[in-house]
Amino acid sequence: MTADTRLTRRQLLTTAAAAGLAVTPAFVRSARAAGEFKIGMFYAIAGPAAGLFGPTQKACAELAVDEINAKGGILGRKITLHFANGDGPVAEATKSAVRLMLEEKVDFFLGSHNSAVREALVGTIKAKVPYVYTPIYEGGECGANTYVLADTPQQQMETALPWIAKKTGYKTVYFIGNDYVWPQITNKHAKRIIESGGGKVIGEEYVPLGAPNKFEEAVTRIKAAKPDFVLITLVGADNVNFNRTFAGFGLDKEITRLSSLLEENTLAGIGAESSKGLYGCMSYYANIDTPENRAFKAAYKAKYGDKAPVLSLLGADCYAGVKFVEAVATKAKGTQAAKVKAAANGLTFDTPTGRMTMHHRHVDKNMFLAECQGTEFRVVETFKNVKSGQTCA
Amino acid sequence: MSPVVVTQAMNAVYEVTTLVVIVLGLAIVFGALDVMNLAHGEFIAIGAYTAFVCQSLGWPYVTAVPVALAVSALLGLVVERALIRPLYRRPFDTMLATWGLSLLLRKAIELVYGGGYKSLVVPVSGSISILGEPFPAYRVLLIALCATGVAALLVWYRRSPTGARLKAMVGNPDLAQAVGIRTGQLARNTFVAGTCVAGLAGVMVAPLTPVQPYMGLDYILKAFFVLVVGGLGSALGLVSGAGLIGGVESAVSAIADRTWGYSTVLAIAIVFLWLRPRGIFARS
Repeated sequence: MTADTRLTRRQLLTTAAAAGLAVTPAFVRSARAAGEFKIGMFYAIAGPAAGLFGPTQKACAELAVDEINAKGGILGRKITLHFANGDGPVAEATKSAVRLMLEEKVDFFLGSHNSAVREALVGTIKAKVPYVYTPIYEGGECGANTYVLADTPQQQMETALPWIAKKTGYKTVYFIGNDYVWPQITNKHAKRIIESGGGKVIGEEYVPLGAPNKFEEAVTRIKAAKPDFVLITLVGADNVNFNRTFAGFGLDKEITRLSSLLEENTLAGIGAESSKGLYGCMSYYANIDTPENRAFKAAYKAKYGDKAPVLSLLGADCYAGVKFVEAVATKAKGTQAAKVKAAANGLTFDTPTGRMTMHHRHVDKNMFLAECQGTEFRVVETFKNVKSGQTCA
Repeated sequence: MSPVVVTQAMNAVYEVTTLVVIVLGLAIVFGALDVMNLAHGEFIAIGAYTAFVCQSLGWPYVTAVPVALAVSALLGLVVERALIRPLYRRPFDTMLATWGLSLLLRKAIELVYGGGYKSLVVPVSGSISILGEPFPAYRVLLIALCATGVAALLVWYRRSPTGARLKAMVGNPDLAQAVGIRTGQLARNTFVAGTCVAGLAGVMVAPLTPVQPYMGLDYILKAFFVLVVGGLGSALGLVSGAGLIGGVESAVSAIADRTWGYSTVLAIAIVFLWLRPRGIFARS
């Protein structure tokens, strides 16, 4: 009797353990196969760019997710976004990346943040999960399992500078930018293009990034140097401040300006009276008149109404990022690194700026040269399928 | 003189005079009440947003002055009653409390007006010839207004009975109260005066800078440098601190560039904190 009981107990235990062993992996397997397709997204939640870009980055990414999920998701799995801050300290971003990989087990990373954070994330993710980086940058990112949708200096400068040279016939050029990698490398490309066109760079200065800068002295220097053309690689409030001071000193009447990162918010800050003779060249402006952008804007308005965050390149890029994830994961039938890499080569996908084609893990895309009219952009030239100028394997 | 030197000298004068007004509110409140108002920059931002609202309503720019005064005074009264008064003579606690207030105000602005930049039309366009060189008219006007305003305030502080009461309160609050000075009321009015000056500074700079919720941060840091160098709590300290910080930054930025200008300011602030922590003209 006692022996029987013991046996029964033992049997019960082994059965339960076996059942447990059998059930758990099956459950995990099913969750991974037919569960959610998780995208870990880094954007400006808290930090200097959070007020300006955060709302539209999130809104655009969520719009893309809704559209894809309405058609059944990626490989039959619904997409979910898992957010982390990309606008704070680098260490915060890397910690979030580890958490997203270990706890959430994300299938893909999407990032819209600065280059310092990107470099740290590439080092942390260690190619274990594919990572797509979307905002305008200096080029040169060839980290394994990393894909870039950004506008590169080649795409901006090789289109805009010759066009403006032809229009204005500038000979002398002055550079002003923030003191970090993106302005420095953009200016290096610009200098090459300007000099090969017979122009001359007569001044180059950088102001600290993140300091409360004023531009009276720099504008006075520019006034004395009398360049025909000023190339601006300042960002955010510095860009606004410089351009307002520039016009305040009356230089806008004689000198043409091109700003490398001039989106809708920045132009609103510069204001109508300071934007005369100011150009920008990027792959997206909210008022480009193409069927893709009309459809995108209609969907954006339908989802968010009149209170929608101001649309700009930084948001449209995030939308394109999600579309890229859909296209590449579908073609690769998953997110295995080698398969994603093979699928990405020559991949085409549709975005608000038009069709993008990936080569060298960067994209060929349409570029738009816009002239400021008051606080609106007027596209004066469209450059189709501009090559990224990048050479990643 | 060469045209560049004239314009760069004007830039330095502009920087120093406007800086005095930007720091003035902070200096008044600290000098008289020992309250380090870390939300000073946000009061400047609120002044700037008031100017933005007035301009978008189509009102002439001068109307922003009384409106900003009213808004800053009202807000100053509420803050003094709710936050500052319970914490008088507890300098560290007031710092913490006003720091919290600054976060709250920034987020409140962002909630109402969004995070984007607002731009204002410069109310006085064109330029005025200074020693044969054109200088933006609005900046010339600001230099004149700031210099006159600060001079008038200094004279008033030296000569008026209220100025005398203030000095009495600063010297010995208990004794001042004993001789019949209503120190509570006087302190409240001083705090409100500080927020009002900050609001006016906001109206003044709004057409020249990007107006955005975080703009206050740009001003508070430099304001501290000025007070560190000049010495806390004296009018002469304020003017000399602004002259040194603003003047050196502008001059070095003109000769070299902004990076050197900014580094020099940091170096000066460090040297003063290290070797002369009470500043040039400290209140004894």
